[in-house]
Amino acid sequence: MNSTLRRGIYGWIAFAVVMVILPHVVGTGVTRSFVFAMYLAIFAVSWDIMSGRTGYISFGHPFLIGIGGYTTALLTYHLHWPLFLSIPTAVVITMIGGTLFFFPALRIRGTYFALVTLAFMELIYGLVQVIAPNVTGGTRGLSGLETIVTGAIPNYYLALVVLLVLGFTMWLVIRTHIGTALSAVGMDEDAVRASGINVTRLKLFAFMLSAFAAGLGGALYVHYLGSIAPRALFDVGFLFQILVACLLGGAGTISGPIAGAFFLTFLLEWLRPYFPGPERFLIYGAVALVLYVYQPNGLHELVRNGLKRLNQLKLSRNTS
Amino acid sequence: MLEAKDLSKSFGGLKALQQVTLRAEFGHSVGIIGPNGAGKTTLFNLLTGEIKADSGHVSLDGMSIDTEPIHERVKLGLARTYQVPRPFAEISVRENIRVSMMEDNLKYMLRVAWDDTGEQEIAESVGFTAQQLDQLPSELAMGDLRKLELARTLATNPKVLLLDEVFAGLTYGEIEHISNLLIERRKTHGTTYLIVSHDLKALQPLVDDVLVIHGGNVIKKGTFDEVVSDPQVQNAYLGTG
Repeated sequence: MNSTLRRGIYGWIAFAVVMVILPHVVGTGVTRSFVFAMYLAIFAVSWDIMSGRTGYISFGHPFLIGIGGYTTALLTYHLHWPLFLSIPTAVVITMIGGTLFFFPALRIRGTYFALVTLAFMELIYGLVQVIAPNVTGGTRGLSGLETIVTGAIPNYYLALVVLLVLGFTMWLVIRTHIGTALSAVGMDEDAVRASGINVTRLKLFAFMLSAFAAGLGGALYVHYLGSIAPRALFDVGFLFQILVACLLGGAGTISGPIAGAFFLTFLLEWLRPYFPGPERFLIYGAVALVLYVYQPNGLHELVRNGLKRLNQLKLSRNTS
Repeated sequence: MLEAKDLSKSFGGLKALQQVTLRAEFGHSVGIIGPNGAGKTTLFNLLTGEIKADSGHVSLDGMSIDTEPIHERVKLGLARTYQVPRPFAEISVRENIRVSMMEDNLKYMLRVAWDDTGEQEIAESVGFTAQQLDQLPSELAMGDLRKLELARTLATNPKVLLLDEVFAGLTYGEIEHISNLLIERRKTHGTTYLIVSHDLKALQPLVDDVLVIHGGNVIKKGTFDEVVSDPQVQNAYLGTG
């Protein structure tokens, strides 16, 4: 048990080292793609800590990300708050606002939870445009937002630090008793209650971690883009990118969804020169589908099996 | 002491339980028998709080637990096994037991499980081998699933244990093993048992009193011998022929 934890930590260190060196090796264009990949990875981690193990499949994560994004956008754009205040405020508002909506929803299970959370997203999409469009910018959103740092490389390192800290923390969390208990909730929630565990509190805790990551990621993301618009955030396409990254990577593992986010982003980038039009998404869908059918537990499982086979090969060579 | 007073529950027009009263002192063991559909499992569900009674009260240790949710009742020492075992299917036997052993606070739960001697002890006490600890419930036979069910319940450290058909599907050897474990635990921990079982032979050495439920009513209370020789009970079980 200790050895798997140790191996995982080595994996994180290796990942961090490669990522730190990377922008010095690749060009600016690829660096920018990596920034997008890392934001997608942050959102995927946020989704995974809540939905990956518990089976409460959230279709409403853009809702959370959007609360974070809009809060800091409005505070800085209209009230000229400094970023170091508006971003933490955005995180807190996401956690509070998210709880108001998600907490009641966490009483319904399965497909209904997914549908209700999807409704949250569509609801806020409508509200942002209808209520006070002169404040929110309506359908067109707001642009010319303050940026935290400028240039591809500084933005790269900013996203990297956030991804490493959030990702590693969440990865550690699911390796504690909490992770085991969250898995158990996904398998039989009532039996977890009958084991003497307050399931409501457990779900709320997982949700809080998720909302924290979503709020922080969302706030940083809009200040990276410098703009915000309802259809950029509260969008089924955006939602599916997060979901597919998690499922492809291996839900419930944290490291899997991060890998999934990178894989997805670069699959789309690599396809771009050959298929500049929307047919790119058809291929991307097909690749995702084939991979998912081949290994429902995702890239994470593929890598794990690969390593296992490699070990066996080494063992058999040593013995012969 | 576990006490239930006048528990009633209807499902639509079906009166599943009517004014059932029972008392189990600490260290005392009560068998609950009755034909299929008599209301035995409903009684357990009312005691643990999984379903709400229409009327009546449950108290543990003289304290009313009517308003306590399921997990609080478990923490107070009232635990149960399920008639159909409900293991966590995709985690190992060890982790299944771990979930029950966890303290219910986030600070405790945010620890990494370095040490599994506690899980191992409980697993071995119900008759698991060390190799089985890493197996998934899907790899276990019915008998082992019942053992896991019992192990998970014991891991909550219960004062009162509700056992729902723990012997079904077990071999004679396994029944004897579990029986001895329960008797031993009663001596060392003073655990109270409420045991639902169709296996009267397995029940006999374990219980001080037997409660017979038929059609939602308690039709007989008494020692094992009194109850099984009662003509009314025999009718309920075998029919009037």
